Amino acid sequence: MPNRRTLDQFENELEAIGYITERDDRIALTSFLATELGKPLLISGPAGVGKTEIAKVLSQVLGAPLIRLQCYEGLDETKALYEWNYQRQLLKIQMGSEHLQEADLFSTNYLLPRPLLQALLSEKRSVLLIDEIDKTDSEFEAFLFELLGEFQVTIPEMGTIKAKERPMVVLTSNGERELSDGLKRRCIFLYVEPPSVNKEVRILRAKVPDLPERLALEVARAVNVLRERLSLNKIPSVSETMDWAKALLVMGKTGLDPAWVDATLTLLLKSQDDVELFYREMGAERLLFESSKMAQGERHVYGHQHR
Amino acid sequence: MSMDINIDRKVSELDRHLVEFAQLLRTVGLKISPSEITDATEALSLIGLVDRDKVEAILQATLVKNVQHISAFKEAFRAYFASLEQKEAWQKDAAQKTNQWNEQIESTYQDLRFQDNELDISEEQRAIYASLPERDKQRLRDFLQRSSNGTRSGVPVDHSYQPMVERVLRGSLEYWRKKLNEDEPILYPGSTNGVLSEVERALRDREVEVIARDLKKISPEEWPEVNRLIRRLSQRLANQVTRRYRAARRRGGLDMRSTLRKNLRYGGVLVDRSYRSRRKGRLRIVLLCDISGSMLKYTEFIWQFVYGLSTVVSGIKTFAFGEELIPLIGKFRKGQTFEAMVKEALSVSGKEWGGGTNLANALETLQKKYPDTFTKQTLLLIVSDAQTLEGEKAAVLLSWVRRHVREVLWLNTLPERRWSETPFVNAFLPFCQMYECYTLGHLTQILNKQF
Repeated sequence: MPNRRTLDQFENELEAIGYITERDDRIALTSFLATELGKPLLISGPAGVGKTEIAKVLSQVLGAPLIRLQCYEGLDETKALYEWNYQRQLLKIQMGSEHLQEADLFSTNYLLPRPLLQALLSEKRSVLLIDEIDKTDSEFEAFLFELLGEFQVTIPEMGTIKAKERPMVVLTSNGERELSDGLKRRCIFLYVEPPSVNKEVRILRAKVPDLPERLALEVARAVNVLRERLSLNKIPSVSETMDWAKALLVMGKTGLDPAWVDATLTLLLKSQDDVELFYREMGAERLLFESSKMAQGERHVYGHQHR
Repeated sequence: MSMDINIDRKVSELDRHLVEFAQLLRTVGLKISPSEITDATEALSLIGLVDRDKVEAILQATLVKNVQHISAFKEAFRAYFASLEQKEAWQKDAAQKTNQWNEQIESTYQDLRFQDNELDISEEQRAIYASLPERDKQRLRDFLQRSSNGTRSGVPVDHSYQPMVERVLRGSLEYWRKKLNEDEPILYPGSTNGVLSEVERALRDREVEVIARDLKKISPEEWPEVNRLIRRLSQRLANQVTRRYRAARRRGGLDMRSTLRKNLRYGGVLVDRSYRSRRKGRLRIVLLCDISGSMLKYTEFIWQFVYGLSTVVSGIKTFAFGEELIPLIGKFRKGQTFEAMVKEALSVSGKEWGGGTNLANALETLQKKYPDTFTKQTLLLIVSDAQTLEGEKAAVLLSWVRRHVREVLWLNTLPERRWSETPFVNAFLPFCQMYECYTLGHLTQILNKQF
């Protein structure tokens, strides 16, 4: 039996591949629990906070291929689990063989495995990402119970298929719909909030290497103010913050100024309603003022800590 | 050998604490299954018990599966894993409060008597009496004393007068209930368990958070935050609405005609199949908002809810009603706020915000003037406190409406415990799904349950 990794090792591995976590966000601890207990990890939180990214990172850390099932309304078993290759079965029948048995037609040769079955059949441990589970219907959720609890599925014509290697299952939800108690009970739960200023600066600096520290800080503070103070329909995601920072960098900026905030705002706020709300309730100058106030607050706290 | 026994003992002690903690969480509203407790035990033995933060994180990850329960969990964790001295202090405090309460209630049995007989009034009413200022208590006692002695004209009374005296007293205490606490119940001392009573206290304090507070008590500065919440909730509702109500999860039967036509090119061998798909029906929301005097305190909530909904769902039909029906259809203009829209509609119809309520009238007008409103795709959403004139007639009309629409949802701004005091609620109940809805927490729960 391979040596189990410890939490410290796990955190180091996350850091080694450039994934930034903070102790407060509990991402490392909860993901570690899910991997070690062999339980599905249910990640919830607003759009754009990096829920899907966690599955990708886990796949890297565990050295396991990522198999992704993107959920949508109306998703059914034939798209998620398996489908019989009807055309191939038909051809086989037409080729006409005296010894053809019905069981021959319902063998793995004629099975088209979809992501869930792929994960179970995989010889190597895989990471199965079931993305945006809240977009499916509750019936589909119930159908997942067998898979998430027992890591097996039943195909009527073939019987029960057990996982060769239990996949690490990651489910994400934007909270559009309340998930069933049965599903939640089977999972370890992680709620991801938008990153703190400090964490976002670290992410920006890691992902955009040329970004000056001052610009990274100002961008992260401004985005934080937008997220906290305005009732936006959609808060700026981490990737949008990154796009904004990159755009400012390309323009050769080293800090934020109102004119450039106005010019590049659409990189952060993608709906007309949100843009209108921004100008009605805040505006670029106020945004920068609030950000600088936040900076003063940080210095104050910092000063206290180090006195 | 002795080490093994020690380990067993340790494990069972941990288990006992976990089960107790889970029990505490269940008491404050979380659903926790035995399998989740097992997960927590395994996780704790994996990480260890040294770091308090980590223990909290582990228990949260394994026992709490709903974002809204996180604050209750945090309070429970803080209280359950507090120091022994602290717990003893809470225990003492809880016991003291319970004793005090019992004494107060006990004293009402002495105070509130008619000709030395106990009066038939509820515990809540006794509690109201106990919480009155001494001067008002005295007035009630004087009243009982005088009544016991005889009528004003000096005619002596016997025990047959007691029910009448009780009715008068109940009416008076009901008045005080409204005056003292509006709609909130008199707070019982809570559990005699110190930890639980501390968690309950902390959660009550957290009610300052907007989600748990009565919507009419939210101050203007807090409305932006509330609006954001309402918008998010409406968006969730909208997502459900624009989703096919009955998704074609399973394909329908084989469409032979189309399949044959499609496969003519393969010489009639059925290579490609066509299926009949289910008809997609989308919900059409019809919103009926009570803007009568009794609902005045909730106008801001109604505005925001309607506005939030209409910005995310297209084709929503909105009607307001007081004594008459006021259609708010097709009056949206870009940049116009909902408030302006309602006010404009009101001025056109010569009506004012806040007057009497006549649901029967509103439903009748809807039925006659807007018959296409009621279809099998319609979700009729009524926001009202159900205090209306012509209640019987309204109930008959509502039963007709119920038969002609998919669903009638009634968001009642009156707390459920007061429904029995409202004359027509019982008449409406068979024809709609009525929910109490005076906090954002309620609205969230309703949406969770319904959609």
